[in-house]
Amino acid sequence: MADEFNTEGMLDMYLFENEQLLEQLQEMVLDQKDAECFDEDSINEIFRTMHTIKGSSGIMMFDNITAISHKLEDVFFYLRESHPDNVPHLELVEHVLEVEDFITGEMEKIKSGQATDGDPSEIIADLDQFLNKIQNSGEENEAKDLPQNVHEEPKQFYIAPVASSDSRFYKINVIFFQETEMANVHAYKVVYALKEIAEDILYSPEDIIADESSAQTIIEKGFRILLQAQASEEEVRNIIGVGYDIERVDIYECHAEEFLQGFDFGETSIDLDSSVEEIEAKKEGKKEEKKENAIAPGDYVIKPKEPGKPKKLVKDKAKSDKATFISVNVNKMDMLMDLIGELVISESVVMQNPDLKVPGLDLTNFNKAATQMAKISTDLQNVIMSMRMVPLTNTFQKMNRIVFDVSRKLGKDIDFEMVGENTEVDKNIIEHISDPLMHLVRNAVDHGIETDEERKATGKREKGKVTLSAKTEAGKVWISVTDNGKGLERDKILAKARKQGILEDGKPDSAYTDKEVYQFITLPGFSTNEQVTEYSGRGVGMDVVVQNIQAIGGMLEIESKPGEGSTMSLKIPLTLAIVDGVVLETGTSSFVVETGLVKEFVSVREDMMIHEPTGDEFVMLRGECFPVLRLGDWYGLKDYQQSVEDGMMVVLELDGKTICMFVDKLIGKQEIVVKPIPSYIKKVRGISGCTQLGDGSIALILDPSGFIE
Amino acid sequence: MDEISKPIEESVAVTDEHDTQKGKYMTFKSGEEYYGLKIQYVNEIIGFQEITPVPETEDYIMGLINLRGKIIPVIDVHKRFNQEPFEYDDRTCIIVVDVKSTVVGLIVEKIAEVVEIQEENILPPPSISRVDRGQNKYVYGIGKVGDTVKLLLDPERLLNDEEPPAAERTNELMVEGE
Repeated sequence: MADEFNTEGMLDMYLFENEQLLEQLQEMVLDQKDAECFDEDSINEIFRTMHTIKGSSGIMMFDNITAISHKLEDVFFYLRESHPDNVPHLELVEHVLEVEDFITGEMEKIKSGQATDGDPSEIIADLDQFLNKIQNSGEENEAKDLPQNVHEEPKQFYIAPVASSDSRFYKINVIFFQETEMANVHAYKVVYALKEIAEDILYSPEDIIADESSAQTIIEKGFRILLQAQASEEEVRNIIGVGYDIERVDIYECHAEEFLQGFDFGETSIDLDSSVEEIEAKKEGKKEEKKENAIAPGDYVIKPKEPGKPKKLVKDKAKSDKATFISVNVNKMDMLMDLIGELVISESVVMQNPDLKVPGLDLTNFNKAATQMAKISTDLQNVIMSMRMVPLTNTFQKMNRIVFDVSRKLGKDIDFEMVGENTEVDKNIIEHISDPLMHLVRNAVDHGIETDEERKATGKREKGKVTLSAKTEAGKVWISVTDNGKGLERDKILAKARKQGILEDGKPDSAYTDKEVYQFITLPGFSTNEQVTEYSGRGVGMDVVVQNIQAIGGMLEIESKPGEGSTMSLKIPLTLAIVDGVVLETGTSSFVVETGLVKEFVSVREDMMIHEPTGDEFVMLRGECFPVLRLGDWYGLKDYQQSVEDGMMVVLELDGKTICMFVDKLIGKQEIVVKPIPSYIKKVRGISGCTQLGDGSIALILDPSGFIE
Repeated sequence: MDEISKPIEESVAVTDEHDTQKGKYMTFKSGEEYYGLKIQYVNEIIGFQEITPVPETEDYIMGLINLRGKIIPVIDVHKRFNQEPFEYDDRTCIIVVDVKSTVVGLIVEKIAEVVEIQEENILPPPSISRVDRGQNKYVYGIGKVGDTVKLLLDPERLLNDEEPPAAERTNELMVEGE
């Protein structure tokens, strides 16, 4: 591999870029999998993606990735140039996904430091066959002018992203030092840097990536570049000029006509025809595209699935969002969060500074400025909070892929629908739900949905359908996987449970509620599926799902109707980091309780209390009796209110149980940043974390489930 | 380039630090005696600040403090040594120590000075007597500085009881038994 030169930073960049490209590619492909064919934009996009991957893999010397992306690029080159209209679309989709899988697999190997030893020849052969097939049938149908060089590398296709009248044209000659080694790689670096600003770029010798002998040519004759860009000569020079190996850079500004004539200062004549066409075509294409955008044929996004919804708009927005993403180390974000916390504290120190309390001081201007600053720091806090939130879109897209793969392998015709994929969830949580969700989706496709024959036999008319939906409710995210399949079979589960000895002896089957029965399938080693398929049925899975979900404070709910399908709902906290909480005070300590758990606040009178001889207390509220927990008592605090009439009852509801917590007073409601209790302090019952309040003091976060035991 | 050069600088700094820190001890007074802590463990010394008590913890764990956005536990060294409790005032200090990435604040009565104690002036603690005083199990050596002696503390033993691991073990056993 590429051990001749240091690839550390480049490798990271390579992996990161390609990962993103592949992700986008997959999303696009799956988005259009049900369409007749890819629309023009997508074909261009896939072509471009493959071209980029090919280029960067070439320079990193991952030959198998280069080869396979080259082949797929060829296919899309053909599609783009000759618009064949009898392409078996699903087959094409599969090919693209196959290539994507291969590259992803290889990149995983690179990440774990293994050699990229995957053999792409089989996939390449398949692609060749596929290409031949569509080429032949295309020629039969109409004698279109096919480009002759389909199998050659279409080097001159650098698609100009923008072409405008402000563009300037440059001829650049880069002379490297004689002793420079691997001048072709350095040359590629130059090209790579210029691509940032380039609207169009051509260079000679062309094949600097694969052809190592080009290094010699570059050293002897210089490396020539034709550049179309909006940058000034100075800027171009700056971009190129960052390298110790470059002896001299000559830049000539020229006119568009000259530019199109190509390299007249070199002996190597390059066929620039296609490039000229390309530029012109692009310009014309631009205008056409604009018209087309509104009513692009085959634009699959306006699907009858969700009638009346302006889905197109949402999708466009998502696209533009993607372009502006950067990845940031989470540690840095945490640091920023801490810093902002500090800022808030020092702000309150300034505002409440005793120096300001001198009588007779005119603080009008100070207060004005202070209010402005307070506003900014609040905004800052909100922004950093929102930065941690990530939409579920990517996770859902992965599921789309799984449904596609599994359903095709099993020969089931299944629709997949996503609802609410823009729901935002904390980044940490997303990492934890991906695997469980995958399991649930697989189960739904494999076990939930019957085979087509079975469906016909039971008289079901509609297609099999799996719905993945997300919504936020009461500070929790609900993610549900719904299928319209056969549903869970209560009798079968009970029989199996009986066999495994899970059921209590002597308790009749009918004594178990549906909910209880369905929960059995989440026990380790419990699978009613007699046949183990490739995807599921080994009895591991549901228990792992439940474990993973519980680890992040979530839970799994199962609903099912025989013959109509089942719904698996994950109920998970929106974030691990930020909670909307009510701040309370008891004695000298502050506590926070999650707003979602609070049902109401009540002031009670002594005559509403019921005291039991055992010391337990209850309170009568509107004819109902609830147990009372005095927070001060529970934790043995000092100086707290003894009389119920001086304090406040907080009615908490969780898991269907209600308790009244008695506290001294309420402070207010605020968003709090959850921090773990330092591990040095061992776990305290009923406390799940701590947080920093606005004035810098610390409050403990209550977890009422610790009270109910 | 930055990424490559940075770690090198850091590692240089670390070795430098080790050299200058070698044999130096942060000393403080607790009760009648002076105690010493290897300076490598000491992050910083901060003034006393408001402590949020945490219920149901060992009595020497006073609670949590907010160290510039980082929440750390603080323990009272006096109570840890089973000495008479003392009143906190404005001049009470908290030594923030970092022991194997556990950051803990130590409330001490009075901070003394940083002293240098050579290896040869450190004696093993007397093995007999005074076990009842409680602090002996935290002392790993006695350092002589001129005419005075400093009791050198093993911070790991200071922070962690021998008891908790045992308790955890029984807990685990119980869980397994279930």
